[in-house]
Amino acid sequence: MSELLQFTMNGLVLGLLFAVVALGFTLILGVMQVINFTHGVLFAFGAYFAFSLQRYIGFGGALIVAPMLVGVIGLVLERLAIHRTYGGNPLFGLLLTFGLSMALEEVIRMIWGKPGYSVAAPKFLAGSLDLGFMLYSKYRFFLAGLSVLVILLVWLFLEKTPYGAIIKAGASDSEMVMALGKNLPRMRTFVFIIGAILAGVAGVIAAPIWSVRPTMGTAILMPAMVIVVLGGIGSFWGSILAGLIVGLSTSISVMFWARISDIIPFVLLAIILLLRPRGLMGEKSILEV
Amino acid sequence: MGSSSGWGKWIPAQMAVVFIVFALFPYIPFIGRYLSLGTEVVIWSLFALGFNILLGYTGLPSFGHGAFFGIGAYGAGIFFLHVYKGVWLPLVMSIVVAGIFAALVGLLVAKKKGIYFALITIALSQVFYFVAFRWEELTGGETGLSGIDRMPIDIPGLFSIKLSTPIHYYYFVLVIFIICTILIWRLAHSPFGRVLQAIRENEVRARYLGYNTAVYKWAAFAISGVFSGLAGGLYTLLINSAFAFVLDWTQSGNVVMMTLLGGGTVNFFGPILGAAIFIVSRDLLSAYWESWMLIYGLIFVFVILFIPSGILGLVGGKKQTILR
Repeated sequence: MSELLQFTMNGLVLGLLFAVVALGFTLILGVMQVINFTHGVLFAFGAYFAFSLQRYIGFGGALIVAPMLVGVIGLVLERLAIHRTYGGNPLFGLLLTFGLSMALEEVIRMIWGKPGYSVAAPKFLAGSLDLGFMLYSKYRFFLAGLSVLVILLVWLFLEKTPYGAIIKAGASDSEMVMALGKNLPRMRTFVFIIGAILAGVAGVIAAPIWSVRPTMGTAILMPAMVIVVLGGIGSFWGSILAGLIVGLSTSISVMFWARISDIIPFVLLAIILLLRPRGLMGEKSILEV
Repeated sequence: MGSSSGWGKWIPAQMAVVFIVFALFPYIPFIGRYLSLGTEVVIWSLFALGFNILLGYTGLPSFGHGAFFGIGAYGAGIFFLHVYKGVWLPLVMSIVVAGIFAALVGLLVAKKKGIYFALITIALSQVFYFVAFRWEELTGGETGLSGIDRMPIDIPGLFSIKLSTPIHYYYFVLVIFIICTILIWRLAHSPFGRVLQAIRENEVRARYLGYNTAVYKWAAFAISGVFSGLAGGLYTLLINSAFAFVLDWTQSGNVVMMTLLGGGTVNFFGPILGAAIFIVSRDLLSAYWESWMLIYGLIFVFVILFIPSGILGLVGGKKQTILR
């Protein structure tokens, strides 16, 4: 029983982390219709920056600075290349970011080398917390809390600020938003940076529980993609819900039949798509052409 | 495109050029000594041509076609190791198994388009990757399958061809490639192929003309899966083994890349040119520089941004209508 509880908790924590990654992915996909393959490698950059910065400014400092640096990378990518794919066939953006992510993964290998690193959690978060009925890692609690905070911040931004309103309007009718005198290109760059920062934050907080290695980006990309489709493209709560479902189902299935745990998200996806072609919370979207 | 009667209907001049160049490949100095590379070029050309039925002719952006290549590779390998050690039957199996799975996946995706189509094909191809990775009893898991030898082709009393000799296998693959290329060419220029192109240009209009576009898209998906599977089976026999790596999603990206690079979206022969350039340059780059992936990724970006119609698009001056 306590084992089941342990796996359930792990699943929730993993799900929240997935949700943060997927949120950035779905934001870029929903607003710009770009399937951003660099999202995974941006996640990896977050983890690597945390690894390098930790020595100098500590984990707390890295938590602030590393995502900013990832945001800068996002800015450069968007301005140099990705903005050219807006409004084209989705394959255009997908292929471009596919090439970029391959090049960037190689850049990681050139800077940090092939072997993996481990990042230590800050001292006050080391060890476990006694919940009375079970012991659970303090750091994972912190990870979960921080993920919830990030999700709430993104929600507040999208729902409660005028800028969020413009972004949402731009996703559903970009021409009209432009006609109203809003600077759409700048808004899209901004959205891309936010997406990159979300990937970076997730990379930093994942670093202490995962091994930091060049392929970690591609490893998170596929779950993120599944979550986004499962939840419904462009749906905020859909991504959160699907993130939790994927996190929980992979974690709990490890307990019963470990070897199928990788496949479960994809099987879930196939089933959901048969029953609800637009995903759990997807609405009739402009993306379907 | 040339004369459309007599021989030209089956083998137009450009196709004959391709066949002759490939036939002479083993005799080209330097490159010719490296026959497995040549065989790989021919196999990937077949894969890219099959894939292009979907991308270039139907306009469907499948980003998971590596799955069918991989299923063909494993289909041939598993059949060889467990059922029958031969050449023809394992290859037939690679066609049958890849065809069945492509038909099933096709059912799921035939009504999708654009972003959904791309995302779902990626996701479903991952299922096959993980199955190959985890179902160790059948697929050998991480270590894969090995010992898949190329058996001789025997016709008792007449002749026997030792396929284990690289040059014999090269020509064996080339003959299959030639047959498939002619088949795909005929398919692309049949009434069926015209409907696919109509779907690419305007699916709604094709539907209003009375075509059941979902059925056509499904058929295109299944057919292109069959050719991809055959290419996978030939690849297994080339490297005498099958690994989960052949199912990796980067492989799906590679075939899209080859097709676009050569100009598959504007020219039937684009995928062949693209596959040749891709395989040879990857081989050269990786031999000289450890970080060749960087260059490779950047070339990818360059092609997508600046020559999306591919090399034959530059020469022929035709513009692709798929990416924009």
